[in-house]
Amino acid sequence: MAGPAIEIKNVSKRFRVYHERTSSLKEALVARRRARYEEFWAVRDVSIDIAEGDSLGIIGENGSGKSTLLKCIAGILVQEKGSIAVQGRLASLLEVGAGFHPDFTGRENIYLNGAILGLPRRYITSVLDEIVEFAELEHFIDNPVKTYSSGMYTRLGFSIAVHVDPDILLIDEVLAVGDEAFQRRCIERIEALRSEGRTLVFVSHALESVRAVCDRGLWMDGGEPRELGGIDAVLAAYLAEVNRREEAELQLTTRDELDTSPGRMGIRITSVDLAGPDGPTTVLNTGDPLTLSVRYAAPNPLKGVRFSVTFLRGDGVPILTVPTDDLETGDTSLPREGTVQLALPGLPFLEGIYRLNLVIASIATGEQYKRVEKVRPFRVHSADRHEVGMALLGYSWELPRATSKAGRR
Amino acid sequence: MASTELLPERSLPQRPRAPQAGPLASRIELLLELVRRDVRSRYRGSFLGVTWTLLNPLIFMIVYSLVFGKFLHVHYPGGSATVFILSGLLAWTFFSQALTQATNSIVANAALIRKVAFPWMLLSVSSVIAALVNYVISLVLLIPFMLLSHKGVGPPLIAVPALVVVTFALSLGIGLMLAAANVYFRDMQYLVTLGTLVWFYLTPVIYPWSLVESKFAGHGFEGVAAQFALYANPMTWVVLGFQDVFVFDRWPQHWHGLCYSVVVSLVLVWVGLRVFRRLRRRFAEEV
Repeated sequence: MAGPAIEIKNVSKRFRVYHERTSSLKEALVARRRARYEEFWAVRDVSIDIAEGDSLGIIGENGSGKSTLLKCIAGILVQEKGSIAVQGRLASLLEVGAGFHPDFTGRENIYLNGAILGLPRRYITSVLDEIVEFAELEHFIDNPVKTYSSGMYTRLGFSIAVHVDPDILLIDEVLAVGDEAFQRRCIERIEALRSEGRTLVFVSHALESVRAVCDRGLWMDGGEPRELGGIDAVLAAYLAEVNRREEAELQLTTRDELDTSPGRMGIRITSVDLAGPDGPTTVLNTGDPLTLSVRYAAPNPLKGVRFSVTFLRGDGVPILTVPTDDLETGDTSLPREGTVQLALPGLPFLEGIYRLNLVIASIATGEQYKRVEKVRPFRVHSADRHEVGMALLGYSWELPRATSKAGRR
Repeated sequence: MASTELLPERSLPQRPRAPQAGPLASRIELLLELVRRDVRSRYRGSFLGVTWTLLNPLIFMIVYSLVFGKFLHVHYPGGSATVFILSGLLAWTFFSQALTQATNSIVANAALIRKVAFPWMLLSVSSVIAALVNYVISLVLLIPFMLLSHKGVGPPLIAVPALVVVTFALSLGIGLMLAAANVYFRDMQYLVTLGTLVWFYLTPVIYPWSLVESKFAGHGFEGVAAQFALYANPMTWVVLGFQDVFVFDRWPQHWHGLCYSVVVSLVLVWVGLRVFRRLRRRFAEEV
């Protein structure tokens, strides 16, 4: 095959945003004016060559034009300017199960969907069992898909789609479906296609998936290509920018309203403050000492209460809950108002944004007197660390002693 | 790849590649699959199923022959009011059903259009073919009534496929335009319902041609307008052709009219294809 698999030259795509959609004939005739809409360029002047066997990951924020560009390559949208030349058979996977007929059985939908994706009927028959097995739907394949759970639905859709055997595969976000094990197999399947020399264009928010399957990266920003290059470099540049923006946003929201209204027994949380090594802050490094001060107020002295703090990851997943020691607080009477402090000598969390949940509860009954959620967001940097994941554990490695002749990897 | 784990190299078996059908072959396969879907989904879940294809025109035929034949004393030539009405009514049902379904064929598949690139036109084509399949099934209805009317059926029957092709081309051409236009103007579906109703009365389905032909003269402007509408209507000549074959067992008589219908249908198909190709560029955005 001569030339690149996909040649994108100065492509721009314009959308119309209707203020008031004129989709009735009367309005179109009466209004005389053309429908009232604004135009905006979702993709502006993009030029890239994607070589055969390349795998390109397109990243960017919502509305950056990455999906629009992919749809232009797929031929679903037609660009206003520029040209896209595609060599080889192209299949796009923008949504699994698009076009399933709810009243049809899984089997009937495999044939229908397969045909829409360009598979000959005879070929579908020959891989039918494989498709059903991949989707784990052996017992349900002759039931109408309207009886399927959403997981079954997406598994079937994806399973059909990965059996399309294209030269060029376009994928948009669809990997975010199904359970962990299914996602794993999907990625394996895509890697298999790649190792067979197929060209891949992958749009996703799941940056780690992009890193796993792509060699090259394109960062789209406001409809324009911002950075094109090796996937690691592009992802690093993108993440740095995301961090900058998030920090700017954190500065704005960190003084947001804390719910200081009284809970049961009139107990209130009046303030929550974070302090790093240099005093109050919202930006910390992994390993920094952290002090959390929670001020409370109540009409009566507190007895038999438990304070607890939960650290949440940016997406709301709880990582760690630290309650006060019942033995210590159980019989002690705490003053009507005061400050409890939680100190972490070294912050164990890695790169990301974290928030806090705070609870004051009864030790005896577990009743929650006061609860505030997702407050005091703070950013953790771990740029100088080489660990990957959520939190740091104490660890040490032991390596075999290198003998003098052994080659080093 | 970022992963630096030391995994044993997996040797991937070279899978056999999916066969590459040519563009035409894969289009035909897809079209067949879509027709299958349209035909099957129409009656799936309904108690009487495909019987509706027969029941619908049967009921209308009974109503029309009662109202026009018995109450209004319309004389249907050829002796059998039932065969007369059915021969035109079935063809008309095919035509109007094709138009209605084609109009919605793109909008009804919005989810698919937004996400998958394939020859979208096949959605409209398949809805017209699905109506054709229905028509062929409904022709069964004619058999008992034709046997009862003691008329023979002879070689003119060969003309039926040709007449069907003309009807098909007319509905395809108009259907493609309506399908594409409906994406931008959703009023189209209501206009089509109304339009086909008016069109129905401007086609000699439930009244014999001889009855109106004699009445154009001497009615001034209205007479001329009505005459023009009936003559310019390409379906007029097709329906008359069906009546010639089924009712009179003779070759279609109105040759000039039929030639006109053929020309109109070809022009409409050409225009329909052009309009559709032009408007499809922004389907995924507007649908």
